[in-house]
Amino acid sequence: MAAVRTSSEIGFNRVAIVAVLLVTIIFLAPIYWIASTAFKPRNLATTIPPTVVFQPEISPFVKLFTKRSQLRNPASPEEYAAAPWWERVVFDGGEKIVRDGKGQVQWSGYPSRFMNSLIVAITSTVLAVGMGTFTAYGFSRFRVKGEADLLFFILSTRMLPPVVVAIPMFLMYRAVGLNDSHLGLIILYTAFNLSFSVWLMKGFMDEIPKEYEEAALVDGYTRMEAFFKIVLPEAATGIAATAVFCFITAWNEYAFALIMTSRRAQTAPPFIPSQIGSGLPDWTVIAAGTFLFLLPVAIFTFLLRNHLLRGMSFGAIRK
Amino acid sequence: MTQIELRGVQKYFGAVQVIKDLNLKINDNEFIVLLGQSGCGKTTTLRAIAGLETIDGGDILIDGKPVQHLKAADRDIAMVFQSFSLYPHMSVYENIAFPLRATRKSKAEIDSEVRSVAKTLQISDLLAKKPSALSGGDMQRVAIGRALVRRPKAMLMDEPIGALDAKLREEMRAEIKRLHIKQGSTSIYVTHDQIEAMSLADRIVIMHEGVLQQVGSPDEVYSHPANLFVAQFVGSPVMNVADTSVTEKASSASVTVGDAAAGFEFPRALLSKLNGHAGSQLALGIRPEGVLVRREAAEGFLPVETQIVEPLGSFDIVDLKVGSKMLRARTKSGFIGGPGERVFVRIDPSQAHFFDTASGKSLGVRL
Repeated sequence: MAAVRTSSEIGFNRVAIVAVLLVTIIFLAPIYWIASTAFKPRNLATTIPPTVVFQPEISPFVKLFTKRSQLRNPASPEEYAAAPWWERVVFDGGEKIVRDGKGQVQWSGYPSRFMNSLIVAITSTVLAVGMGTFTAYGFSRFRVKGEADLLFFILSTRMLPPVVVAIPMFLMYRAVGLNDSHLGLIILYTAFNLSFSVWLMKGFMDEIPKEYEEAALVDGYTRMEAFFKIVLPEAATGIAATAVFCFITAWNEYAFALIMTSRRAQTAPPFIPSQIGSGLPDWTVIAAGTFLFLLPVAIFTFLLRNHLLRGMSFGAIRK
Repeated sequence: MTQIELRGVQKYFGAVQVIKDLNLKINDNEFIVLLGQSGCGKTTTLRAIAGLETIDGGDILIDGKPVQHLKAADRDIAMVFQSFSLYPHMSVYENIAFPLRATRKSKAEIDSEVRSVAKTLQISDLLAKKPSALSGGDMQRVAIGRALVRRPKAMLMDEPIGALDAKLREEMRAEIKRLHIKQGSTSIYVTHDQIEAMSLADRIVIMHEGVLQQVGSPDEVYSHPANLFVAQFVGSPVMNVADTSVTEKASSASVTVGDAAAGFEFPRALLSKLNGHAGSQLALGIRPEGVLVRREAAEGFLPVETQIVEPLGSFDIVDLKVGSKMLRARTKSGFIGGPGERVFVRIDPSQAHFFDTASGKSLGVRL
């Protein structure tokens, strides 16, 4: 590369920067939209043109987590004064929080759906990545009869759009009593992610030189010990990358969750849109639910970012 | 006290036999070098001894006990790999301590042993570093430290300095030798570099296509190569080998190289020692230092023309045209001015080797 940059190079760089900024804005706009709507007063959520400057409110989140009913008459001054701040913001919107006979606040369906999402996504990710890692190690290190065919067979499970089999799957699940259960969704998502996990991890395993394990073997360790002490730490990058992909898939899955679950094991993706239909849609509450739903993936990816940067470029780095 | 013995070891990779009936006895404290071209089976042999490859026949004995069915971990052998194979996620200290942790030793014991090995190898200041922060030579020292720390029965080294640059290789070669003299453990070292083999080995084992060609001290394999392969593989520059016919003269024997017009004069005793091989299928082998070159004509010297002169610093290698063949001679540097000169050449009978070209075997003729 020339040490002195020509004017055409500088010009190209400027165009490139503008292009990158433009694409970034386009990609981030929906996220900004959701995030800003989640903090808007209800009456500003659907204005045309959109309101950009507003006093942010916490009320959509309070409403998201609680069961509410419409107020026929405004709350009495005593009632208003006695209520905690988070209840007052609901009064302000012409609604009140539903309490049971003992005065306990009634939760909305959202917290349990969110927990379901966490349980199902984390468990299925751990299972898919765990089994995928072992399987990939086997394929990578041992001579497996019909290896190419088996690997192709594993991949072939991804060739069909999964939703095609949703109805038969639903009938099968109902027959064995797995519908609307955490276990049912976990099995489904694990199976769905496993092929992906095996293939991705095989790539990472192939990159780890065999000599490391051989050195551990002559150093006095069994193959299992060598796997856990040497291979696994070396594969951490790959495991992190695979886990992020599996988690995102399981976390965002909508179609099967909609069909297979209704209440007990329902995850957040089918729940959030179902709220649109109940009464006049409160878009701020839906935006708050969506905004919270985005956070785990963002946090998970952020925590693993160092591994990911290396993991995404696997094959490019030789150890 | 560790003896390693290979008895009739066979190994196949699919249909290809990579070790063919290998028999070898390695004595206690001996430094053995397995020497051969890539693909000759030397690394496979080493890995079989380590327990990283299974064998398809024969026995591997360590201290008289067959170990071919034992796992690598149970053979109490250490190995240094060409790629060093230092665990990248562990510090130098942890790398060296790793084999000791498998033995369930106490923390204090492990610590003192790691530090003592590090001191021997002069890497004490590197203990906290990660392997990726080390130079090639230091990585190798750590790899050797990891092998030594457990005081294994035997130490196996697979081209341990092959990945280093030339200068460092020379330094590490000397260091490995120094260490072996100091620690004195039974060592098996694999290399394709005959200089490494000559400088390190108590005995060299030369292999070719899975077959053991010769076992002997560096001097033995250099001075008395068992066959044409060993003759041409050991020694640099390579030994001259040419088809030869030997005829009887009045008071001497005449050794004619290829289609040359005249023959070199040899003592008459050669004829009886060749024992009927004089007629055909005979090859003469002579190292460049056994080709004597003069500028003036003299008794027994044949006139030849110089072709290429390779100045190598301390000496020159000169190609001499004898008939249609080239004979390479080693001369003092600057002795020959350039190509096209007329010089006089003779072969030192005491350095000549004779081989049966059909079997490739040395006829064992010594004059």
